[in-house]
Amino acid sequence: MDFSLTDEQKSRSREFNDTCNELNKKRPKSLVGFEAIYELDECWEYNLYCAREFAKKGWLALGWPPEYDGKGDMMDRVLFAEARGYYGTPGVDIFGVQMLAPTLLQAASEEIKREFLPPIARGEAMWCELWSEPNAGSDLATLAATAIKKGDEYIINGQKTWNTGAHRADWGFGVFKTDPEARKHHNMTFLLLDMKTPGITVRPIEYLDGSAPYCEVYFDDVHVPARNIVGQEHEGWSVVNLLAGFERSGINEIMSMMRGLEEMVAFCNETKRNGKPLSKDPVIRNRLAQLACELEAARALAYRVADLQNRNEMSLMDASAGKIFFSELGERFAFVAGDILGPYGQIRTSRWAPQNGQWEKMFHEHFITTISMGTNEIQRNIIAWYGLGLPRMR
Amino acid sequence: MDLRFTEEQEILKQSARDFLATECPKTLVRELERSEKGHSPELWQKMAGLGWMGLIVPEEYDGIGYTFQDLTVLLEEMGRNILPGPFLATVTSTFPILEAGSEEQKKDLLPKIAQGEIILTTALLEEDGVFDAASIRVNAAPKGDDFVINGTKLFVDMAHVADHIICVTRTNEGAPEKGITLFIIDASTPGISCEVMPTTANDKLCEVRFENVTVPRKNILGKLDEGWPIVENLLRKGAISRCVESIGAIQTCIDMTVAYAKERVQYDRPIGAFQALQHKMADMWTAMETGRYLAYEAAWMESSGLPCAKEASMAKAYVNEVYRDVSKWAIRLHGAIATSDDHDIPLFYRRSKAADTAFGSTDFHREIVAQKIGLG
Repeated sequence: MDFSLTDEQKSRSREFNDTCNELNKKRPKSLVGFEAIYELDECWEYNLYCAREFAKKGWLALGWPPEYDGKGDMMDRVLFAEARGYYGTPGVDIFGVQMLAPTLLQAASEEIKREFLPPIARGEAMWCELWSEPNAGSDLATLAATAIKKGDEYIINGQKTWNTGAHRADWGFGVFKTDPEARKHHNMTFLLLDMKTPGITVRPIEYLDGSAPYCEVYFDDVHVPARNIVGQEHEGWSVVNLLAGFERSGINEIMSMMRGLEEMVAFCNETKRNGKPLSKDPVIRNRLAQLACELEAARALAYRVADLQNRNEMSLMDASAGKIFFSELGERFAFVAGDILGPYGQIRTSRWAPQNGQWEKMFHEHFITTISMGTNEIQRNIIAWYGLGLPRMR
Repeated sequence: MDLRFTEEQEILKQSARDFLATECPKTLVRELERSEKGHSPELWQKMAGLGWMGLIVPEEYDGIGYTFQDLTVLLEEMGRNILPGPFLATVTSTFPILEAGSEEQKKDLLPKIAQGEIILTTALLEEDGVFDAASIRVNAAPKGDDFVINGTKLFVDMAHVADHIICVTRTNEGAPEKGITLFIIDASTPGISCEVMPTTANDKLCEVRFENVTVPRKNILGKLDEGWPIVENLLRKGAISRCVESIGAIQTCIDMTVAYAKERVQYDRPIGAFQALQHKMADMWTAMETGRYLAYEAAWMESSGLPCAKEASMAKAYVNEVYRDVSKWAIRLHGAIATSDDHDIPLFYRRSKAADTAFGSTDFHREIVAQKIGLG
C-alpha cells in the first residue's frame, strides 16, 4: 500500500497549484463560496476566464483518450481538483467537464462525441443539468417532463428544477420521458439541448441566503434535434446512473476545507479575546483539532476512491461513504467556525466580516453537498443495499 | 499511489485470518479473560512458529525483516479476532530496542523475541495516567556501575507474564523531557512486584512496584537522560499499531451486526429491512472506512520513514471514537441480547475502552494535532 505520488505527479501537482495560485490573484473579492460564480456577473466572467486559461493547457480534457485531444490520466484529474479546491479556483464546469464529458466518452455515438467534446475542452460551452422535477427528486425515475419524437425532432414539455446555473448555461443535458407507456426505468431518454432554443424559460430560485444560483426551467414545445441523444432511446436511466458515478471523490471540497482550516488557525492565532489569543483556548484547540482529524480522514478516503476509479474498479460504497462524510464534515466545519467567531459568525461579506464572510457563507452553502448529487440519505441506502446487502425497501 | 495490499501482505493477511479463526476462538478469548495470566503459552508458541514475533526483527537477528506496514496488516487481523495476550506489548517494546538498542542488547534480545522465547512490556504510565515526560517520577539513581530504581508504574500491559520490562525512569530533575532514561530490566530482579489491575477489558494491565531494584548501567536503552525521544517514537508507533488493530475489531462489529440484522425477524421482516437500522449501519461502515484509510495512511508514512506525528495522532484520536461508537451501536442494533455477557459483541465494546486509553486518549492526541496544525 503506497500513498505516494511519482516525481512526475508531484511536478504536475506543483504546476496545477502554481497556476491556480496565479489565477487567484485576479479573483474578484465578491467570489465567496462555491456558487457565487453563477450569481454575480464579475464572478461568472472570472469563471470563464479561468476556464479559458485551463483550456489552453489542455486541463479540461484530463483523462480523456488521446483521439479526443485528451491529456494525462485520472490521477491528474485528482491532483488538479486538489489544487482548484485549495485555491477555490473556478473554471472547471462541474456539469460539462466533470459529469457530461466522461459520460459522452463512455456512452455517446462518435458523431456526438466529435460535436460536443471539443467545445467543452476549449472552455467555451458551459452546461447545466436538467434532472430533478418538482415531483421527482430522489425518486428521479418518476419524472414527468416529456420529449415526444416527431420526425427528426423531440418536442419537450414540462418543468425541471434545482438547475444550478441554468441561467448562465449554453447547453443543458437532461432526461425526459420519451415513452410514457413503457415501464419505469425504460421510458426515458438522455438528451442534449441548446438552452437558447425557443420555448425554454429559465427562472432563478431564491436560495435561503437570498442568492440565486439555482433555477427552474420550463419547457413549452421545445424542439430538439433527435440526434442529440446519449445512449439508446428510452434507456436514459442507465446513462443517468453512469453519469452519477463520475467524479465523486470529493477531493475538491475537502481541499477547500483544508484551506479553510488553515485560515481559521491563522485567525485564532491572530485574534485576541479577553487579552488572550483564541488559539490558547483549550476548547477551540480541541474542536479545531477534531476537524483536522476528520478532514485528513476524508482526504484519505477520497484517495481510496480515486485509486479505485483510476483502476476502473468498483467504488460505489466508498464513493457514497466519502460523499456522506465530506459533506457532513462541511456542516460541522461551518458550525464550529461560526461558534468560534461568536457574533461575527453572522456577518455577511462586508467590512465587519472576518475572512471576507466565508464562514457566514458556509452556514448556507453546506446544504449543497449534503442534498445534491444524491442526498446523503440516498447514499446511505446505497451503502446499505448494494454494499452491505441489506433488504431493499419495498 | 496504489492503495492495495501487496501480494505478500495479502498472503500474510489470509494466513493470519485462517490461523486465528481456528486457534483463537471466542471460547479461548473468554477463558483467558477469566484466567489469572490472560496468556496462552501454547498459542504463543504456535504464533512464534509462524514467525510473527520476529516479523519486524531484521534477518541478521533471526527475524523475518518485514516492514512496519506489514506488521499492521497482521495487527488488523489480530484485532478482527481480538487476540488476547502479550503480542502487542512485546512488539511495541521491540520498537525501542530496534531503534536505540546497543549491538549487545540487540544480539541478546532480538533473536529470543523473534523465536517467541521471551515476552516484553514497557512500563511508562504512573499515577497521573498521562503520557508526558513531567509525569515520570519513578527514579533511577546511580550507584557505582548500577542504577537503583524506586517507584510505581501503572497500566503496564501484561507485566505479570513479561520476562523483561522496559522501564521509563527519571534520572535527572531538570527539564521534564531532558532527564528520562530507559532501562531494560529482567522481570525476575529482586524488588519488582506486580499486581494485575481490574480493567474494563480484563486485559491484564498491571501495577508494577520497584523497590530498590538494582540494574546494571549497561542495561540503559539508548543514552542516559536522553530517553524521551525514544518514548515519543514508541508512543507514535504504538498509537498507529493500536489503531489498525482497532480497525480489524470495528470490521468484525459491523460484520456481526449486518449478519444479525439479516437474520433477526420482527414485524414479519428482517430488522435489517428497516431504514432506521440500515442508515445506522451505513454510518458505522462510513466511520470505519474513513478511519481505516486514515490509519493506513499513518502506517504507510511511519513505514516509509516520513515524519508523521500529526497523522498518527489524527488517526488515534479519530479511530478511538469510531471503535467506541461502532461497538456501542453494534450492541444497540442487536438489542438486549448483546448486553448479555455470553454474547461476543460486548467483548469488543469493552476492548474499545482499552484501545482508547492505550498510547494516548482522544484528547491527548487532539492536543498534539492542535500543535501540529499550527495553533499557537
